Amino acid sequence: MSRESSSGDLLRIGAAVAVAVAACGMPEGDYFGKLDRPVDPTHFRWCNHGDPDFLDPARAASTTSTPLISAMYAGLTTYGPDGNPVPSLATRWEIDDELRTFTFHLRGDARWSNGRALTAYDVAYTALRVAHPLTGSPNSDSINPLKGITGYLTRTVFVLRRDLPPYRAGEVVELAAERAGEAPPAAPDVALRTSSRELALRDLGAPEAAAYARVAAGRPVTLVMTTGGRATPPSPDGAPWAYVFSGPASAGVYGWVPAALLDGEPNGGASLRVRRVLAKHAPGPATPEERAADERATRPVVTASGRDLAHSTDAIGVRVVDARTIVFECADPTPFFVAVTANRALRTAPIEAVSRWPAAWTRPDRIVTSGPLHLTLWEERDRVELVRSPTYWDPAEVRFERMTALAIDDQAAATNIYYTGGCDAMATNWIPSTYLPALNGELRGRPYKDYRVDPYLSIYFLWVQTQKLRDRHLRRALSLAIDRSQVPRFTHGGEMPTSQLTPGASIASLSDRDLAACGVARGDPGVALVMEAGALCYVPPPGLDYDPEAAARELALARKDPSWKEPLEYRYNAGSEAHKQIAEYLQAAWRKIGLRVELVAQEWNSLLADTRAGNFQIARLGNSGTIADTESEFLPLFRCGSPDNRGRYCSQEFERLMEEARTIRDRKARNAVLRRAEAVMLADAPVIPIYVYTQKHLIRPYVRDYSINLVDQTALWRVWLDPAWRPQP
Amino acid sequence: MLFVATASFLLLHAAPGGPFDPMEDRRSAEAQRAMEERYGLHDPLVIQYLRHMGNLVRGDLGVSMRKDRSVNQLIADHGPVSAAVGLMALSFAAIVGVAIGVLAAWRRNTWVDYLMMTIALIGISVPSFVLGPLLVAALSIELGWLPPARVDGPASYILPALTLGVIYLGTIARLARGGMLDALGQDFIRTARAKGLPERVVLWKHALRAGIAPVVTYLGPATAAMISGSFVVEKIFQIPGLGTYFIASIADRDYPVLTGVFVFYATLIVLLNLAVDLAYGVLDPRARRG
Repeated sequence: MSRESSSGDLLRIGAAVAVAVAACGMPEGDYFGKLDRPVDPTHFRWCNHGDPDFLDPARAASTTSTPLISAMYAGLTTYGPDGNPVPSLATRWEIDDELRTFTFHLRGDARWSNGRALTAYDVAYTALRVAHPLTGSPNSDSINPLKGITGYLTRTVFVLRRDLPPYRAGEVVELAAERAGEAPPAAPDVALRTSSRELALRDLGAPEAAAYARVAAGRPVTLVMTTGGRATPPSPDGAPWAYVFSGPASAGVYGWVPAALLDGEPNGGASLRVRRVLAKHAPGPATPEERAADERATRPVVTASGRDLAHSTDAIGVRVVDARTIVFECADPTPFFVAVTANRALRTAPIEAVSRWPAAWTRPDRIVTSGPLHLTLWEERDRVELVRSPTYWDPAEVRFERMTALAIDDQAAATNIYYTGGCDAMATNWIPSTYLPALNGELRGRPYKDYRVDPYLSIYFLWVQTQKLRDRHLRRALSLAIDRSQVPRFTHGGEMPTSQLTPGASIASLSDRDLAACGVARGDPGVALVMEAGALCYVPPPGLDYDPEAAARELALARKDPSWKEPLEYRYNAGSEAHKQIAEYLQAAWRKIGLRVELVAQEWNSLLADTRAGNFQIARLGNSGTIADTESEFLPLFRCGSPDNRGRYCSQEFERLMEEARTIRDRKARNAVLRRAEAVMLADAPVIPIYVYTQKHLIRPYVRDYSINLVDQTALWRVWLDPAWRPQP
Repeated sequence: MLFVATASFLLLHAAPGGPFDPMEDRRSAEAQRAMEERYGLHDPLVIQYLRHMGNLVRGDLGVSMRKDRSVNQLIADHGPVSAAVGLMALSFAAIVGVAIGVLAAWRRNTWVDYLMMTIALIGISVPSFVLGPLLVAALSIELGWLPPARVDGPASYILPALTLGVIYLGTIARLARGGMLDALGQDFIRTARAKGLPERVVLWKHALRAGIAPVVTYLGPATAAMISGSFVVEKIFQIPGLGTYFIASIADRDYPVLTGVFVFYATLIVLLNLAVDLAYGVLDPRARRG
């Protein structure tokens, strides 16, 4: 599912030419990559998909950044070999019965690379930073399950600073709309402050002389947090301190100042209409009685002035109990929240560096890290150099001295570099499709041993716009007409044809323990998603697989409906030969049942924009998951009103089942209900699954512990190079 | 320049999609809006335009939305490597191209001429996305003489410079031949030969000065194109230059980088064309008086 520009088409022609030439000289032997020099176990070289967009965990949004961020910054959990979360910064945790409150206990020996101790306040700061609108973080969605995140991000929730009958000081309120069902009107930012004196921005508790930035008297700053809050540090000297931002947005600076200096409130006189939030969004546990009371009670709207309201971090469901204990509160039951803590959004960020250089603190001379690897060099669009961190709490975990992540954004160049010995391993799916027949054995009869194919939590499917193609029989006919078993010949990567939506590993490949956990037999068809090894498994229901008679019957019923006309339109992204071949194959399959479909190739970003806006009939897309949980990764695509619901699917029965599953604490029972929901959805065919992606890697034989898992989260710092490896004679 | 800046601004904003549209990840409307507001994308278009033009006048090409760094800085970081490869390609293309053209003109309509012009034609016809991978397959993969990609030491500049230069070489050769044929037919050449000057001097000192004019004209925009970064060559050889950056920004809808690079290229072309005009003054005394 990589984004490929149309120029990639040209390069593919070039690559094909080169392969044809080079195929005359395809390496003999077991391995594709040249093995003509001794193994250097101190230096691990990795070919990345490209340059990281950011090395700031709050700003990074690309798969080129995630593995490096997972190595550089500690999270409460991190990725284990199977991609599921394992203890890291947190040594243990408790989950309440309702799956809403998560208490993490941190280890005591965690340190930043500058020597400072890493505490629960750092974890809280990380979450609060991601949620703050001025950060502009693309990752705020990852922590959406927490109370108050969306409201804090959009500046629509506040904490009352004084009693405002019938509400009390400290209650969390939200902006009220004029009329029910509408969005609330835009409100001025009540967090703006000014000072009648010059502000000296500095670290918490530092003397004025240690200020690294100064703000002139009268210039507005944004108040971000104050000491003494639920998740903010206590005051160092008894008097409250305030953490402020002085703009402009992309070139500003943050810092602490004594709160008493902030005597001006430019928007203090603004008038806002507010009411209490629902109990489930109020921080602190809400009892079932309180939640039930919510159903009955009205929430009167009152008029507040800017001075009455604080855009405060206390509106967010995070609480620091002490330096080694942090509590996260979710609005709804969230069984996958522990996995969220391994995500880049919650990787700890160093407040002292971020404050001084919010947009540029990840330079090697400024960066502070908390993970197993530390940054020493970042040559943009060339490489990133990391070394084993001397301050990481488990030095034995890292068995090399340095790691180089080469930024190669062209697949042919990356594979050539691997071939000539420039890197020890390549990132997932970065081999040109024209090379695959040579690597997988189609050309020479046997595959190369350093070429690996593994399952991937990613599915290739077609969206069908249910409001344009309203007829259910038509959509079902589209799915039933396709013989998916032939599609992998266009892709050469061992992909698994499927009509199921949730991807997973093929049942035939599971271990005996996992087979038992999934409740299936080895000969059963299809896939299963192992959520916890040997313990918890989700087996997706079957979909509308190839059945030409059923397709003909459905189409006959559909023809009675005048709401659609031929030819239909199928869109796919230009630039990939495989997508084009698949499009033509589908067109032929539909023609066989008498349905005319036109093909339209479209530029990738335009396709995304059009499908998001619903301007399409049938479009090729897909989805990947970063957590082994269909409830958070795949099924939400089909919720009524979700912005990701490109097919505009809305089914009362599906919604009812999803809501029912949401409150079930027993995860096996929960999965059973989710399975029924998925079955209901598949029967309506808003989506037509085609195949499950595979991960293809080139990894040299002396590379060990390169853990490939379903969610493609390889813990690169655990890799080691075996100097004792010798080729088998 | 004003036209370039305005036209590029308007065209980019007219294209569907924006810089913070989610691509690989799903993204909520709130998160996307928060990011867009941070860069002023929800201000009225007129305000955004005026802000952009105001910055341009001060020489500030804006801040990249993708990388959160100033475009000036990005050009300063990535421009030099494009320029280095471009200048090597330019030198190769100019020297070899002129040599081929002069030889062809000198021995016109003989096998030398036909051979040289065939070479030139091949140079113009073979696209860089075929030549590049072929050179890599032959010289790097098969023979192992040169690295396949990345700039990492002097040897790694050879293949990209060759690939980039070959196309311009063909054109320069044909232009040189045409200009030389013209020059060799002039009276002053006959005079020089009559004076008994060796053919070598006639050719390289006298005729070349006159015959090089078409090449010089071509070199203005060709230099701009070569040092601003060829996308294809930079992608094949993984050169962290401006060319790939520019194209990536199109897909990313990174407005400031695009408009900044447009203005940069436009400025470059204007300056180089000026240099060409000045060079005429040196080469052709008749032009000085014009």
